[in-house]
Amino acid sequence: MDSTLPSGPAVHIEGLDKHYGSFHALRKINLSVDRGEKIVICGPSGSGKSTLIRCINRLEQHDGGRIAVLGTELNDDVGNIDGIGREVGMVFQHFNLFPHMTVLENCMIAPVIVRKRPRAEAETTARRFLEKVRIPEQAMKFPSQLSGGQQQRVAIARALCMQPQIMLFDEPTSTLDPEMIAEVLDVMVTLASEGMTMICVTHEMGFARRVADRVIFMDAGEIVEEAPPEAFFTSSRNERTRQFLSQVLGH
Amino acid sequence: MVSLLRNQKVRNALLQALYVGSLAATVLACVMIARRNLAEQGITSGFDFLFKSTGWDVNFSLLPATANDPNWWFFLIGIVNTLFLGTTGLVLATIVGTIVGLARTSSNELARLLGRTYVDIFRNIPLILQVFFWYALITHLPTPRAAHEAFGMLLTSRGLYVPVPNVGGTALAAAMLAVIAAIAFPVWLGRTPRLNQPFGERSTIQLASAAGALACAAILLAVGRLPDLPLLDFPALQGLNLKGGLRIPPEFSALAGAIAIYGGSYIAEIVRGGFKAVGKGQMEAALSLGLSPWRVFTQVRLPLALRAMLPILANQYVWLMKATTMGIAVGFTDFFMIVALTINHSGQTLEVIGILMAGFLAINLSLAAVFNRINKAIALKGNQLRG
Repeated sequence: MDSTLPSGPAVHIEGLDKHYGSFHALRKINLSVDRGEKIVICGPSGSGKSTLIRCINRLEQHDGGRIAVLGTELNDDVGNIDGIGREVGMVFQHFNLFPHMTVLENCMIAPVIVRKRPRAEAETTARRFLEKVRIPEQAMKFPSQLSGGQQQRVAIARALCMQPQIMLFDEPTSTLDPEMIAEVLDVMVTLASEGMTMICVTHEMGFARRVADRVIFMDAGEIVEEAPPEAFFTSSRNERTRQFLSQVLGH
Repeated sequence: MVSLLRNQKVRNALLQALYVGSLAATVLACVMIARRNLAEQGITSGFDFLFKSTGWDVNFSLLPATANDPNWWFFLIGIVNTLFLGTTGLVLATIVGTIVGLARTSSNELARLLGRTYVDIFRNIPLILQVFFWYALITHLPTPRAAHEAFGMLLTSRGLYVPVPNVGGTALAAAMLAVIAAIAFPVWLGRTPRLNQPFGERSTIQLASAAGALACAAILLAVGRLPDLPLLDFPALQGLNLKGGLRIPPEFSALAGAIAIYGGSYIAEIVRGGFKAVGKGQMEAALSLGLSPWRVFTQVRLPLALRAMLPILANQYVWLMKATTMGIAVGFTDFFMIVALTINHSGQTLEVIGILMAGFLAINLSLAAVFNRINKAIALKGNQLRG
């Protein structure tokens, strides 16, 4: 990690509240993620896991509490938001690639426009990351000509091309076939081994066990339990956690 | 024989033959009835009338016209007038439609309400009423002596008078071509494979070429300007009438305005639909990559929305082009009005209606062909079932 960066946690969340109309989506969330730490968030649908990570890169605005990313607080200061957007990459459940651009262009657009890199340099970077996610040969294709797993790997490469310090994953494998889940998880494991700060919303418990430093269980907008994976899977104290785990691991 | 009739292929062939045969018989019957009726009325059919002089005049023409000109020249005048009115109407309708459509998709409640009110009002009033309304409004403007003035233009009941440049015809035409090149060349550049990049340096080359072409236009205007006259010829009152400038007759303004406002309300809905069709996910992805809202709009939202809009837009353009036939309601000599007048004067109804049909087919099929080309060129590749 670059020593010139401000010290302190990668993400620091304190008393976070979020409402959608009368629905209370997040209730007094406290969470601190260190640099290089890998967090897996799980929980039943509607428990607020996606909302939480979408608040971290400001796709959703919180209405109570504080979020600081890399030492910068997310508030109404537009400059702060722009700066943070570049340092936080996100991978979505539905890939959300740009269908009118080739795979290569998908990976180049942000470095060229946001970081003002020359095209040639952006292309080299893009090809390097496509190599890393193991699809360099698909560079000139369009997203819809690829399989779901390939598309998701492009989405990961696209986010990495901005060379972010934090990566957010919002159920990256939940719409994929089993063999494609493996190829996406492989890429995520490699990324984790290289020291990336990762916050992953996922139900891939094998991945959590292997990679996570901490597993967080959310229900009804609250963090119910937070523990290292081994403790989380074997000796969780909470009734709701145990019920959820029996449903996820039961088959 | 019976077994032959049970054969699917034989049956299909027989049915097909029966269908073609009855169609041919119907057409033949129509032609024979028409010929007999024409002969009874002493009308000889044929296209000789095309080369006879019309004996009547038109009130608006971009081409030189006198009553001695032959009928075919008048048809050409009509087509040019229709194309001029249609193009003006389409461009204005597109501008209106884009603004209103964007207002309807805006996050601002007031803008949405205004957009919706606009669409509700102008989409639900028949076009012909709107044409009459604007025509009545314009013809009730003050006389030339009490004309409203704005930006060097004069609004009067005799029409809209706009300033024209005092520049020789050839130089003016060349300058216009340069302006068209300034728009067309960057678009063409964008389609060449080596430069076919959706963002980055290409835009710089395109901007430079557009600026170059515009500079050429400016030089042409400066070189071609008529000596000892101001660059712009402003309309002004002289005695009881207006001198100078270019007069846009009330008929044209009323039609172009009505087509723009009525068509704009339809195009606004197409624009709104196009923007609604863009997945929220793509915009979130762009935002999460750090693109500014403006860049998200120009790089992701607009290009995707345009692809959704184009096929429906082409349909609407063909419709609006046909709406120019409203010219006859207020006395604008568009193609349809010339056709109607020619029928009255020559009596060659069938031939002239044939020409009318051929003319509109040619105009609208060309328009559709252009849009199909564009549509094909920018279509998204591959299977689009997945977002």
